[in-house]
Amino acid sequence: MRTAPQALIAEITHRCPLHCVYCSNPLQMQGSARELSTADWIGIIRQAAELGCLHLHLTGGEPLMRRDIEEFVRIGRQWGLYINLITSGFGLSRERLRALVGAGLDHVQLSFQDSEEAHANTFAGTKAHAQKLRVAGWIHEHRIAFTVNLVVHRQNIDRLEELIRFAEQLQPDKLEIANVQYYGWALRNQLALLPSREQLRSSLPVVEAARARLSGAMRIDYVLPDYYAKYPKPCMGGWGRSLMLIDPAGRAMPCHSAGVVPGLEFPNAATESLRAIWEDSAAFQRFRGEEWMQEPCRSCERKAIDFGGCRCQAMLLAGDAAATDPVCSLSLRRPLVDDLIQQASLRGSSNSQWVYRIDPME
Amino acid sequence: MKPGCRLSPAGDLLLIPEGALRLEGPACRILRFCDGTKTVPEIVAALLEEFPSADQAKVSEETSAFLVKLVERAVVEFV
Repeated sequence: MRTAPQALIAEITHRCPLHCVYCSNPLQMQGSARELSTADWIGIIRQAAELGCLHLHLTGGEPLMRRDIEEFVRIGRQWGLYINLITSGFGLSRERLRALVGAGLDHVQLSFQDSEEAHANTFAGTKAHAQKLRVAGWIHEHRIAFTVNLVVHRQNIDRLEELIRFAEQLQPDKLEIANVQYYGWALRNQLALLPSREQLRSSLPVVEAARARLSGAMRIDYVLPDYYAKYPKPCMGGWGRSLMLIDPAGRAMPCHSAGVVPGLEFPNAATESLRAIWEDSAAFQRFRGEEWMQEPCRSCERKAIDFGGCRCQAMLLAGDAAATDPVCSLSLRRPLVDDLIQQASLRGSSNSQWVYRIDPME
Repeated sequence: MKPGCRLSPAGDLLLIPEGALRLEGPACRILRFCDGTKTVPEIVAALLEEFPSADQAKVSEETSAFLVKLVERAVVEFV
């Protein structure tokens, strides 16, 4: 018997008032006309709890664009789930936050684009920074967990020390410094975002010093861009192993960007049972276990650690979703990644060429 | 217990922002006593009341070690 998913990632809408140039949403988004109903989501959340999920991640887009989010928090909590809200803070008021906490919200992860308002608003394509600062203040009025997510890339990573000092003032329990990962809009804007090897190397001692200085007060997670890794990341904890994502239209997927893998049909969670999707659907079986692996993964001792890396990245960079993730130093396709790094180093200083994430059509 | 850390409804799991920790043996009892009002010796005394045949020195030592581990994982804080 397979284990249950650890968490349900509910991408309840793709609508978002921000237009971040590194948005991880797919280029082809689901419009509001295709969004699931309140009743659909309530049924899905209940099934997720029955299936054995422990966490519910309410995300998007900007999940607060849905007026019924409070109901999802309440139902999830009633069914015993731990409720996480992943938000830009846009659309939150002091009263609305109080209502969400009253409904059972456990943890807010608030994203920041920069420490400087002008930079932050440039990266987000929206004047969002000031609102985020207000939200951070309101969060401290409640006994809930607070994570600040700070997105870094070649345009701001050189100011990492300043960024960390900024985050420190927000007094979160945890700071997650996340280098952009290259999917969706971020891949499209890669030349303007991918840091150089030198930039990345210089960032490491900055994080180490901050960790030492802030030990006991604020934990720091530092997510490196996997292009610079020796081995790939265990993407999503392995395909269909621990996470289930449902997009705004109800498509159940093993990963945010699984839509880039050709030939996969994603079952709809509004019409099919979550258990059947998790246990039996072809999409969730496709890269489960080790049968699908090619060399060098097949005979690699790390295959139980990283599961061959990210299937979507293998598709996006090597054109083969079953290939070893090309970021792996053991992959024969690793030169593809080295080329991208070199291109970004040679041509990627300006941000004038980038494309802002658009809001999905109706 | 720190904000955002709580026991699951069934009491066998500690839910935290990063995931969940499976609780075994007296771990769940100890966490129920972590309400921000009891000192470590008081928690040990409460445990000994529940398990009168347990060795006091051992309970005290293991409870402290467990709490230190939870402080390191940012699940518990001393207030």
